[in-house]
Amino acid sequence: MTQPVSPPRSSTDKIPSTAQPPAWRGVLARADVRTLSLLGVLAALIVVGGITKPDEFLDTRNLQLVLTQGSVIGVVTVGMTFVIMSGGIDLSVGAIVALASVWATTVATQEYGFAGILFTAVLVGVGCGLVNGLLIAYGGMVPFIATLAMLASARGLALQITDGATQVVTIDSVLDLGERDAYILGIPPLVLVFAVVTIIGWLILNRTTFGRRTVAVGGNAEAARLAGIDVRRQRLYLYLLSGLCCGIAAFLLIILSGSGQNTNGNLYELDAIAAAIIGGTLLSGGRGTIVGSVLGVLIFTTITNIFALNNLQSDVQQIAKGAIIVAAVLVQRRTASTT
Amino acid sequence: MPESTPFTSRRGLFFGTAAVGAGVMLSGCTSNKSDDEPASNDQPAAADTPGKAVTIGFAGPQADHGWLNAINDNAKSRAKKYSDVTLEITEGSNDTAAQIGQIETLINKKVDVLVILPADGKALTQVGLKAMRAGIPVVNLDRIFNTPQAYRCWIGGDNYGMGLNAGHYIGEQLKDVDDAKVIELAGLDNLELTKQRTQGFDDALKNYPNIKKVARQAAEFTVESGQAKMAQLLQAQSDFDALWNHDDDQGVGALRAIEQAGRDDFLMVGGAGALSAFQAIKQDNGVLKATVLYPPTMAASAIDLARALGQAKGVSGLAEFEIPSSLTLYSAVVDKTNIDQYMPTGFK
Amino acid sequence: MAPEPPLLSMSGITKSFPGVRALDGVDLDVQAGEVHCLLGQNGAGKSTLIKVLAGAHQPDDGTISWRGAPVTLRSPIAAMRLGIATIYQELDLVEHLSVAENVHLGHEPTAAGFVVRGKAAKASTAALLKRLGHPEVDPGRLVGELSAAQQQIVSMARALSHEVRLIVMDEPSAALDPEEVDNLFRIVGDLTADGVAVVYISHRLEEIRRIGDRVTVLKDGRAVAGGLPAKSTPTREVVALMTGRNVEYVFPERPATPAAPADAAGAPVLEVQGLAREGEFAPVDLTVRPGEIVGLAGLVGSGRSEILETIYGARKPTTGQVLVDGRVLRPGSVRAAVRAGLGLAPEERKAQALLMLESVTRNVSVSSMSRFARGGWIDRGAELAAARAATRELSLRPDNPSVPVRTLSGGNQQKAVLARWLLRGCRVLLLDEPTRGVDVGARAELYAVIRRLADEGLAVLLVSSEVPEVLGLADRVLVLREGQVVHTAPARELDEHRVLDLVMEGAPVASGRSVAGSSAAGSSADRSPADGGRGPAS
Repeated sequence: MTQPVSPPRSSTDKIPSTAQPPAWRGVLARADVRTLSLLGVLAALIVVGGITKPDEFLDTRNLQLVLTQGSVIGVVTVGMTFVIMSGGIDLSVGAIVALASVWATTVATQEYGFAGILFTAVLVGVGCGLVNGLLIAYGGMVPFIATLAMLASARGLALQITDGATQVVTIDSVLDLGERDAYILGIPPLVLVFAVVTIIGWLILNRTTFGRRTVAVGGNAEAARLAGIDVRRQRLYLYLLSGLCCGIAAFLLIILSGSGQNTNGNLYELDAIAAAIIGGTLLSGGRGTIVGSVLGVLIFTTITNIFALNNLQSDVQQIAKGAIIVAAVLVQRRTASTT
Repeated sequence: MPESTPFTSRRGLFFGTAAVGAGVMLSGCTSNKSDDEPASNDQPAAADTPGKAVTIGFAGPQADHGWLNAINDNAKSRAKKYSDVTLEITEGSNDTAAQIGQIETLINKKVDVLVILPADGKALTQVGLKAMRAGIPVVNLDRIFNTPQAYRCWIGGDNYGMGLNAGHYIGEQLKDVDDAKVIELAGLDNLELTKQRTQGFDDALKNYPNIKKVARQAAEFTVESGQAKMAQLLQAQSDFDALWNHDDDQGVGALRAIEQAGRDDFLMVGGAGALSAFQAIKQDNGVLKATVLYPPTMAASAIDLARALGQAKGVSGLAEFEIPSSLTLYSAVVDKTNIDQYMPTGFK
Repeated sequence: MAPEPPLLSMSGITKSFPGVRALDGVDLDVQAGEVHCLLGQNGAGKSTLIKVLAGAHQPDDGTISWRGAPVTLRSPIAAMRLGIATIYQELDLVEHLSVAENVHLGHEPTAAGFVVRGKAAKASTAALLKRLGHPEVDPGRLVGELSAAQQQIVSMARALSHEVRLIVMDEPSAALDPEEVDNLFRIVGDLTADGVAVVYISHRLEEIRRIGDRVTVLKDGRAVAGGLPAKSTPTREVVALMTGRNVEYVFPERPATPAAPADAAGAPVLEVQGLAREGEFAPVDLTVRPGEIVGLAGLVGSGRSEILETIYGARKPTTGQVLVDGRVLRPGSVRAAVRAGLGLAPEERKAQALLMLESVTRNVSVSSMSRFARGGWIDRGAELAAARAATRELSLRPDNPSVPVRTLSGGNQQKAVLARWLLRGCRVLLLDEPTRGVDVGARAELYAVIRRLADEGLAVLLVSSEVPEVLGLADRVLVLREGQVVHTAPARELDEHRVLDLVMEGAPVASGRSVAGSSAAGSSADRSPADGGRGPAS
């Protein structure tokens, strides 16, 4: 009877001929051309910003501003990256952010203070993600359709809750987190959350069975199924994860804007998808990186910042955004095909 | 600039009276209510004795924004005041096709008068024409149809005037400041009304050679975008004297950004007339000193006009027998001096 | 050879991809009216060469002459205009269009330049299909509804809808059963009689012997032999040219004590009782003991793959059950099967088994991830070491499990799949066409690996469309016909003819479902009922 091949101790298994290169070189090699090219784009942007507006751009306050402004969409993008990696899509992220931010800022919720707002935002996000996941994984709906339906109904519900009015937050402990001099461990709270979500996202994707299953489902769902992976359950979890990220993002947005409004999260779905794509995530699934997606977010936020500092108008900004998406994808295709 | 000629005459007209304008041009005096209903001038525009029963169809866009919500509320509560008016209000829609369908349903129901706030004025011109041809007079509210043939009467706000009045208010406030700097937080750039507001603002500032507009960014009428764009503007401009923000809703976000940046070295003028803005002006402990109206009470006036049309009456206070074909509302500036008068009209 | 210039002459064709020199100065001459066979292992450059010929790749160097005049094939359209048509192995048909629309895709018969004349397209398609021996295919049907063999015919009809002088066929027989292959060869014969040249690619030497005129052998991007006579060159020589070694098509020795049914080799690990799927296969009973290789032989469409996938839980049975170690598996659950110790190496390796973008390690560990994980966190060192041990046990090349699995040859990709189950500690291996896409040289090695795994105690259930493979590798063989087991016998008591007799016996009645059902040939004898799987055939 065949025994499972037990993992031998690595010390006895070192083979000189095929020894792995040192770890740092592996990291460099795996931080592939895509990521490096994104870093290059970001560096170029920083040079442009530094030349055009040296005083305003190269300022720690501005760095703080860029990171803070990018943190809301950044958290959403981390969740979106997982979903796209699995071959799916979540068009409802913006609507979920809107619904969660609105639900968490009603007068009734605000009575429960900080915890009430945080809990409600996260719960609404997870709840919407659960519905998405159930419809897609067990209802057999196409992700595009299911999340499109969620987009419509979550926006509708958000409007119903607010009646179109802006719900101002009056809880000081929440508002204080968005103040100019609020720091946790020397980092603005929003940026800290963004960083923590990014790191956890990276760890989950690269170091856990959950991440592996995500990649397997996205790379080849049939092969994953025949390899014994519970593809449907994995899909459910992925949309839950995306919903959770939306809930967290909604809380960040409440801190940032000091209010909840049904128009929040406008077109987040497109921004998050765009950031993931220029970050090298394959829209068909199976490949992508958290680092790439986050760099995508930072590139977009930096562009917005530079344009605003230079007083360029939104028409120019939109054209530039489109051009950057095309350029980034073309550069990646080129670099990818030569390696 | 074609605007330059009318501009000087306009200036002559309202100069010095900018802060005292009435909410609705055709109403003379004002009276305030203290209950929850959206307040406006309670004096009915036409004769207030009950007359022939009139069914008014009302079709507007989706009320996903405070101002639009206030439009619906104004229309409803105004109609309720008249025992002879029945209001058929459709579910709001931002989809042109859906709104056309709703209006056609109202035409088929043979309502007496239609009040239409189109999601897109140009795209709904045809259905306005259709109603007129079917013998149903149309009161076109705010977003104007392509051709006057599509409405019997247009009533709406003055976007150019909004910018103009905001510019003049800021100009007067900064009259004595040398090399004053002004920035502008505009609304959604895709909309023509944003361009008109900016144009009016720029034209007004031309009268004040000591003032220079140093920056302009467009937000999206949302709190979120207001905060984001304002934060960038504040980073870009370390020193300026005044800010005009097109919209009080996005102003909530803008004020948040201002607070976050710890800035209070300038004066801010808002737009539209939200309750939160009025309250801030009254408290007078922040940068927001005034706001320029774009009054949602126009919906109440539209109901008045529709009722008058249905009963074939004129407008009291005017010599003519007929209702005017066009009514442009005045964009009054509300500041500390007249805030109490306007407080009840503020929308959430 | 003929004195006039050859129809096609390629010389010194070189094509490099990043990191790989796919073609290194290849020469190829093709005469009008001949069947020119292209032989070579996977990765030898066959695919690249035919893509150059089809205008899909531009060569870095070298010249191409067409009827004596130099030409440049800038695009597939340019090649098509010259009269070069290519039928790729992976058929490039649009499933949601009809047969006629597919055949005329891109050159629809039109009126006034743009109005598609549907009737004319259907009529000409019907004529083509008739010429190809398949008048029963309705030009109006959607291609997605057709069987694999019928789709191949459609692909061929599309090639012939152009004015064609040279047809490239890339492994056209791979998806066909013997009768269909006969029809294919008849078509090839008709074409060459009309003066059309055929470039024929196949792994199957016996086919090349039957229809080939000349053979060009590619190895490592070079033509190691050109224009050999197809009928008379000894097999040993051809294999030697392809592999660079003198390898016979060898099967490993069976164990001295065959695990015969009566043998006390132990209780069966896998028992299948009355398993059936409506419309696919009739109730099947079979057992596999540890150490035993059981083969399923049958035509394409006889239900072989379906049986394997149903045992594995990938399809839900209509009736019957699967037992592992006497315990009943939850029907229709892959996870239950995997947990019980089953492993499947599916027929479509790339589509059904491999994560092509991932490394070998991750492909191997995917079914045993939790073994290397504590609380969801993967110990990547242990994972890599285990993957290395498993792949090394199967002599997977290259000996570096960090390389992407897509860079591996077909045989090594199959080994990666086997390593996955080896690592999982699987006890029953279900192998579906284990040597499909694996070149001749590597097959013997794969056979040896499978036998060794069985010797170590695994139970193996093998499906193959190549009868010699089943006979050579299995201990016991079940012969399938139209979803029924018609015969069971130790492999050593059977030979290829006997098996073919069994699978053909009784003309397959048109069932409208299977490929066999659509073939016209066959005896007119009554269809004999299944005889308990034991009875001798006529």
